[in-house]
This record gives sequence, structure tokens and C-alpha cells, in this order.
Amino acid sequence: MVISPVHYIALPLLAAFLMPLLAKVNRELVRIIPGVVLTYLLFVSVVLMQRVTETGQPIIETLAGWQAPWGINLVFSQFTGFLVSLMVFMATLIWIFSYRFKKVDNEPALKYYILFMMLVTGSVGVVLTGDIFNMFVFMEITAIASYSLTSFYRDRDGAEAGFKYLLIGSLASTFMLLAILLLYTQVGTLNMAMIAERMHTVPVGMKVTILILFLTGLGIEAEMFPLNGWAPDAYSQAPSPVGATFAALVVKAGVYSLIRVIFTLFDIQGAYQYLIIMGIITLIIAEFAAMKQTNLKRMLAYSSIGQMGFVLIAFGIGTKEAVFGALFLMFNHAIIKSLLFMSGSFFVYNSTSKDIKGLSGIGKKFPYMGFLFSIGAFAIVGLPPFSGFWSKLYILIAAADESMLALVAIILLVSIVEIVYYFRVVAKLYFGKPTDKEVVHKPTFGGYFSMTVLAVVILLVGFYPDIITGFIHRAADTLLDKGAYISNVLSVGH
Amino acid sequence: MKRAFILLLLVVVGWVLADTFSQINFGESRMGDIKQQETVGAYYLNNTVEKLSVANVVTAIVVNYRGFDTLGEVTVLFLAASGLASILYRRKKRGEHDVMILKNSSQLLQTGAKLIFPAILVLGAYVFIHGHLTPGGGFQGGAIIASGFLLMFMAYKDYHVSHNVLTWVESVAGILFVSVGIWGLISGATFLENVLGTGTLNDLISGGVIPLIYIAVGFKVAAELTGVLETLLNFKTEK
Amino acid sequence: MDPILYNKIISVGVYGSAIGLILIGLYAVLVKKHLTKIVIGLSIIDAGVHLLFIAVGFIKGGTAPIFSEKGIELVNQGTAMVDPVPQALVLTAIVIGFGVTAVALSLVIRLYRHHHTARIDHIKSLKW
Repeated sequence: MVISPVHYIALPLLAAFLMPLLAKVNRELVRIIPGVVLTYLLFVSVVLMQRVTETGQPIIETLAGWQAPWGINLVFSQFTGFLVSLMVFMATLIWIFSYRFKKVDNEPALKYYILFMMLVTGSVGVVLTGDIFNMFVFMEITAIASYSLTSFYRDRDGAEAGFKYLLIGSLASTFMLLAILLLYTQVGTLNMAMIAERMHTVPVGMKVTILILFLTGLGIEAEMFPLNGWAPDAYSQAPSPVGATFAALVVKAGVYSLIRVIFTLFDIQGAYQYLIIMGIITLIIAEFAAMKQTNLKRMLAYSSIGQMGFVLIAFGIGTKEAVFGALFLMFNHAIIKSLLFMSGSFFVYNSTSKDIKGLSGIGKKFPYMGFLFSIGAFAIVGLPPFSGFWSKLYILIAAADESMLALVAIILLVSIVEIVYYFRVVAKLYFGKPTDKEVVHKPTFGGYFSMTVLAVVILLVGFYPDIITGFIHRAADTLLDKGAYISNVLSVGH
Repeated sequence: MKRAFILLLLVVVGWVLADTFSQINFGESRMGDIKQQETVGAYYLNNTVEKLSVANVVTAIVVNYRGFDTLGEVTVLFLAASGLASILYRRKKRGEHDVMILKNSSQLLQTGAKLIFPAILVLGAYVFIHGHLTPGGGFQGGAIIASGFLLMFMAYKDYHVSHNVLTWVESVAGILFVSVGIWGLISGATFLENVLGTGTLNDLISGGVIPLIYIAVGFKVAAELTGVLETLLNFKTEK
Repeated sequence: MDPILYNKIISVGVYGSAIGLILIGLYAVLVKKHLTKIVIGLSIIDAGVHLLFIAVGFIKGGTAPIFSEKGIELVNQGTAMVDPVPQALVLTAIVIGFGVTAVALSLVIRLYRHHHTARIDHIKSLKW
């Protein structure tokens, strides 16, 4: 069996269907199998990325033996491959983090690991697929897994956050379904390359309606304003590894689908301006809301929304440099926000309340955790020796090149806000008066390990950005080359 | 005020939808020239008989051309069942036991349910076994079977379907589906490829792996829907 | 009756009822305070969208896309078959809608267990 992109979907599904049976044999297997599968997928990523980088051509896999427009296909290009590898890497670390994670293990562990693995599969599938309806299906897999995981804990607010998320999410899927239906009536196909090729035949009015439906439907997963009301609750109520998964995988999948629709499917210039405007509104509102939060996880959630606004702005500028910056920021956000969620959750776990006030002096009790959280905080606001600095710099340069000086001013202004609220937390960690609380929950070995790896990556990319920029440059080029995407997908088997 | 705003929103949404769909003429063919195969719909109508020997084109699309979607669909059901169990999970307290409904139903319902329950099961099995020949298929058949179990739940207070059995059925059926897909990969073709001979049109055994997959889907859907009903209806009461 | 007028009435009826269902569902989701009614609203929206799918795939005078002996005979006589793709898509969409509804109902049950009410205005721990 040759290694191919379908392994990303088939093997987790096989494992998920096997797990209820294996749970009868040995309960420990349930915890271990997702890790084995994810590790194998990491290996698949390395092999496939190597192949794609060597040949410079995307790997296009047809399914069920039907070539491009007739069947569904998977596209592993330098762009999608980069995102998928990032997702699998993050998922593996999050699995290590949640292995024997205390609060998860008290609950029915089997369900947690199945749902987590399906969340990963769904997000990966959204990125890999070359078919718009298939993307919808994977979107829904991700969504249903997210709803269930949001309300995984047996407390009151979990169910409420989950229901809120479900309400907004299922409205979103309705919009997306309508958009797909209208698109099908206009072009008579569901393959994204074929749709892109035939898009010029669609009347303008219809095109705009379809695009608006898509933007509404996909904007919800991508946390775009004003559709992100679900995010703070979901992030703060979900188990912490799941919060990290939302930031590292689910939102990335949402942004990817939005970008794929705007960059590849449609040829409307106005969409880019729309991205910039919505991005700015998202950024400003989220960052100011983050400043007002008293709950640490809610603050991280709002900061996550703000970062997504930032990504949307960068994509909206649309030049090669800007797209490069946006992809770099997506990479950084996945790594840094996961680190913040992981370390932050231990503080919350060990303090009396979920509030930032309760974190007073906790950094002295856990010096190493405090150190990790500080690295994350410094990196995300974009201080120089850390990886977050580079992405912010590239986006600013790209904006300045397009002489969007107002945009540069806004970004810098918002960065100050960001610095204020992150430094407030860091200051509280180190200079607050420690509360005396008896019970101390130490992180598991896996927790230490995955957080350390993330911190090392942040520092490494901060000092030597070159190790990652090559991949991101090629990914940005692939994304922008729409003609190559169409011809590559449609030429398979002809 | 809020209500007026909502009404305004509804009017706008309705107007936009009506305006959009007024551009799509009802009853008009949008498949282009069928012989030219401009659209996927036309391609499927032209090639299914020849290449797959499957009479029901919708089944051919669901299970073969777009079989990957169906795998995702089955996963959605599996996830819904798992998510439901995790959301509603509650430890049984001492002295509690499970009942499906709180009141005993009438004699009429009980006898009637007993009478038609086997017939419902047979109908469901018929629908998914003949999915590639007649309207229907795995999902429809599975839903019919689950409706039979719903009838039993309503009729009998203490009727239970063993969780063990449900788990086995849904797991094995799911594994079968994915294995058929991987079978294609191993034999050197693509995932989910129809690796068996297709037989003659309108025979019960025709269409290669398509009936095989649809039977697996039928079992899986039946088990999952029954599981969902069982979880949702489950009350815990003191004895 | 005039065939063009007849056609118009049919199309307004089909599209109108589908869009009407979507609007009714949307109204229920936005206005109703009871969680179960909101879930019902979501299902009604789904039903409307599914109806639109089927309506779009329909071809006037078309038969079901099944090549049974009768079907082959009809095709040989020149009868068109309706577009099979929307029907296949709607099958997937229905199943997904079912999954979402099941999860939604379970969340309603959970909320009811905690709050002993399913009215949204009594459940407000988080900001809505």
C-alpha cells in the first residue's frame, strides 16, 4: 500500500470504529490508539511533504476510481499539505497533553478520544478535499464533534455553551448548503476546480448572492465578526485540550475554507475589501473585549478571535507578501495559542477561581509553567526574539507596500492593547501576592513534554525563521496560482 | 422593537431567496445536453448502467461516485451517537433502574407492536438489500428498522436493546465499510474503488461492492438510530 | 388552463412553500423561548432547504433516475430522467441534519436537568 493522502481520513475512521470494541478488551487501548494513529499520520505528512517539495507538483488522489469532476478527489499541494502537516503535528502534541489529563479521564474516556480524533479528521478533511459538498460534510463532522466536546464536562455552563455553538453552527451549515445548491444549479458540478473554471459563466447578481451565503456560513467557523458569539463560551467551557484544538485546528479549517472559496472559487475583487473590513472590525472589537475580560480562558478566546481578524486582513490585502504573512501568522497562532491554553489551564486548575485575579502569584509556585506562559504571551504580542514577531512584521511590511498606512496604524494601535492585557496577566503571575491553597495539581509528564516542545518551536522559529519560511513561501505561491490548481486537478487521468 | 427587527430580517431573507430562486426555472433541465455530458448529473445518467450495472442512479452516486461523502455521513451518525452518550452520561445511583417510558401502554398497542414488529424488520432489510435496484437503500432501510424498535420502546416499558449488541453491530459494520475502501487501495486501485465484477443490470447480485456497502450501512444506521433512541428515551427511576 | 400560467403557479407553489418553511423555522429559532421549539425550528429550516434541493433537481415530465426494466423502456421512448445529484446530496444532508438534531435534543435534556426548565430566558449563566 503506497502512502497517499487518503490515509489521513481512512485510518482515523477505521480506528474510531474499532475503538468501542477494543475498549472491551482493554481500556488503556482507547487512550493509546489515537496517539498511534496520529503519530503514523505525522510520518505520512513527512513523507508526502518531502514528495511534494521534491516534485513541486501537488499529489491529487482520486477516490472510488472516478477522476476529477465525476468523483471526489483529495488535493495535497504545498499549501494544503503545509496546513495538514501543521494540524497533525498540533493534534499529536495535544493528544500527548491530554493523555491521562486528569479531568478528561474521570469522565467516559472512550467518548472523549473518539470525539477528539474525529475533530482532527474533520478539520484535516476540510483542508484536503477538492469537492465543495465533501467539504461541507467534513465541516459538519468537525462541528458535531465540537458541540459534543464543548459540553463534555458535566457542569451547567458546558451544556449552555454547547447549545449556543450548535444553534449558530447549524444556521451556518444551512447557509452553506443553500450556497452549494445555488452553485450547483449554475455550474452543474461540485468539483472546486471545475467550479472555478466555469465561474465566469455565472451571472454577477447570482455570484454575489452565492458568495454572501458562503461568507456567512464559513465566517462562523472562522470566527469572523459578527458571527463569533459562540467562541468565547465554547473556548472557556470546553476541556482545555479541546480549547487548544479549537485554536490550532478547527479555526484553521474555517479560515482555510473561507480562503479557498474567495481565492480559488470566485473571481470577485470586492471580496478582498470585504475581508479587510471584516478583519479590522473583528480585530478591534475582539481585542478591546479581551482587555475587559476577567476570566483567563475567555480572554484567550477573544485574543484568538482577534488574531483571526488579523489573518483575514492579511489575506484581504492579497499580495504575495501578505498571504505569506497570513500563513505565517496561522502557523504561529496555532502553536502559541495552544501553549497559552495548555499552561493557562493549569493555572486555572490550581487557583480558586477561573478569574485572572485568582492567578495572583501562581507563577512563583510553578516557576516553569509561568516561564512557558510568559513565552507564549511575549510571542503572541510579537516581541522580537519570538516567532510571533516575524509574522506581524511581514504583514506590516505587506500593508505598507500597498500604502495602506491607516491599516498599519490600526494594527500597531491594537498591538498596544494586546500588550497591555497580556502583560497584566504576566505581571499578576509573578508580582501578585500568592494565595495559600493546599491542593497542588502537578501537570502530567505528557503535559510538560508537549508544552516544552511548543516553547522550543516558538524560540527556534523566532531565532531562525528560515527553517519554516521556505515551506510557507511555497504554500503562498501555490495558493495564489489558481490556474495551476485548476489544470492540475482536471488533468489527472486525462 | 425586537420583534419588528426580526420580522424585517425575515422579510429581507424571504425576499432575497425568492428573488434568487425566481431566476432558476422550476422543472427546467439544467443538465445541459445529456449526450455531451456537460454536467455531472448527465454523466451519471449516461454511464451508470454501462460502467457499474446499477439500476438506481442515486444509489450509484451515493455509494460509488460520491462514496466518500457517505463514509463521512456514516461518521456523522457515529459521532452523534457517541456525542449523545457522552453528553447524557450519568452514573446510575443506587436503587435506580432504567425504563424507556414511565407509563405502561395499552393492551392494543402492545399486541399490535408485537404483531407488526417482525414485518417492519423484514421491510427494512428488504429496502437496504435492494438499494441498488429500487428506490431506497441503507439509510432508508436502517431508519425503517429503527422505527420498529421505537414502536417496541413505546409499547413496552422495560423493553431494552442490549448496548453490547448495538456496539458490536455498528463497529463491525463501520469496519466493513472502511475495509472495503482499503481493499481497493491494497489491490492497487483507489480508495473505495469497485473492485468486484459488476454483473448484469437489475440482478440482485450486481454492482460489485455497492450492495455490500449498502448492507453494511443499513446495519450501521439501524444500530445507531436505535442507540440514539435508547439513550434519549432512557429514564432512570427508583424501583 | 393556460400551460404557462399553470407552470408559474406550480413553481411559485413549490419554491414558495420551501422558502416559507425556511422562514417559519427562522422565526421559531429567533423568537421562541422554549429550547425544544428552537430545535424544532432548526429542523423546519432543514426541511425547507431539502425541499429546495429536490425542487431544483426536478425536470418537467421527468421520471425517477432508476434504470429498471420500466425505466429503460421510458428512456427509450424519450422520457427525461430527473437530475440524480441533488437527490443524492439531500440524502447526505438529511442524515447530517438528523445528527445535529439528536445532539441538540441531548443538550436540551442536559440543560433541563440542571435548570429544571427549558425556557431560554430562565437559563442565562453565560452571556447570550
